[in-house]
Amino acid sequence: MLRRMSRVALSVVLAGALAACSQQESSSATAQTENAPAAQEGVKVGMSGSYYPFTFVEQGELQGFEVDIWNELGKRLDRPVEFVTAPFSGLFGMLESQRVDTISNQITVTEARLEKYNFATPYVYDGAQITVNNQTMDIHSLEDLKGKTVAVNLGTNFENLIRAFDSEGQITVKTYDTGIEHEVALGRVDAFIMDRLSAAELVKKSGLPLKPAGQPFEVITNAMPFLKTEDADALRIEVDAALQAMREDGTLANISQKWFGTDVTRN
Amino acid sequence: MMNSFDFDFAAGLLPQLISALPATLGMTALATLLALTLGMLLAVVQVTRIRGLNQLADIYISFFRGTPLLVQLFLLYYGLPQVFPELTTVTAFQAVILGLGLHFAAYMAEIIRAAIISVDRSQMEAALSVGMSYGTAMRRIVLPQASRIALPGLMNTFIDLLKSTSLAFTLGVAEVMSRAQQEAASSFNFLESYLVLALVYWALVVVMTWVQKLTEKRLGEAY
Repeated sequence: MLRRMSRVALSVVLAGALAACSQQESSSATAQTENAPAAQEGVKVGMSGSYYPFTFVEQGELQGFEVDIWNELGKRLDRPVEFVTAPFSGLFGMLESQRVDTISNQITVTEARLEKYNFATPYVYDGAQITVNNQTMDIHSLEDLKGKTVAVNLGTNFENLIRAFDSEGQITVKTYDTGIEHEVALGRVDAFIMDRLSAAELVKKSGLPLKPAGQPFEVITNAMPFLKTEDADALRIEVDAALQAMREDGTLANISQKWFGTDVTRN
Repeated sequence: MMNSFDFDFAAGLLPQLISALPATLGMTALATLLALTLGMLLAVVQVTRIRGLNQLADIYISFFRGTPLLVQLFLLYYGLPQVFPELTTVTAFQAVILGLGLHFAAYMAEIIRAAIISVDRSQMEAALSVGMSYGTAMRRIVLPQASRIALPGLMNTFIDLLKSTSLAFTLGVAEVMSRAQQEAASSFNFLESYLVLALVYWALVVVMTWVQKLTEKRLGEAY
């Protein structure tokens, strides 16, 4: 009788497995083509989709500086570009597990990241900016943040910048996936740190009672990271050449003008 | 800064969210199927105490009930591919289905097991005494009665599973949660975005509850 039971059980499992397989077939067909490097192959680009004005979604449409750059890169590389949006903190995991080929989300080049990844040529030069509530009068520099609470986006380099400066642990850092500007506007945290460009655009667009505090305190160089593998190297070299061409013919500057009214792509 | 409620934005967001519903519902349906199948199997293994398998089922249930779903999803999607590179071909959508299915199977197994052992022992004894085999008795006599008992508990788990698909965005699946979050981030309409999102989930659960009522009525016809 046990045998009959297990036969019933087995048929149930098989039915389930079959259903799962037929479901997977359609998607694995596309997944397999991703592995073998060949011309015309698509590029998967990871981004958060919530980092105005670099990558954001409005009315269901993904847009921004990074999206424009990649649409142009896709044309020049003659490859279809697929954007994969996920919370910022998950992007490096996706790169690491080869779910995306690169990340286009103003990734700052750092020592630690250089150990694990190769970066394409930098395409944006920026600074780290403290932003505070309009009513905050006593914060002008990192030094003033001691004893205060600062918001940063989870997994970003800004958290490391604070930790490196604040060796005695006097600054409380809170990490978020989205919405840090609101936390400061609501007074739940004293300041947020982000790159100068996004911070300025964010303040302008949101109309929230926020203001920059002091000058940007660190030059940050942003570039797209690639895995240290042969396939990824080949793609990175292609991207580098295309970025260089875009820089030379003014396309890069034009895209920057469109979103920032200034050229942020030069040092 | 406290603006009034932006009805136009909320009305505009609704079709956006609805267009992302297929992903949410697809994950829910496939994960439910997987969880129910696996859960049933685990429960039967435990009730019949198949040696060896029984202990494995114990460990399985202990692990998947004992660790957070989000941790399991991250392990599955980000962690395991570091050791098994073949797993990188698993898409986020598939990983969520697998993760939700494995996780909720553990809960469903307990509900189904409880339902099976709540059917009075005399039912099985009577069935065996008229010459039914154990398997037939289980299938024809015990499980139909157990299904009626298990339904409300299982429905709780289905609902939980549906809502847990909102974690899929952490793996990059474009479903309703991700749409709402991204629209909220670019528009700063947090209240509107999450309220509309909450109503969408609620509407789905109301429909599920209605299906539950109908099913309960059908299963209860004999009583």
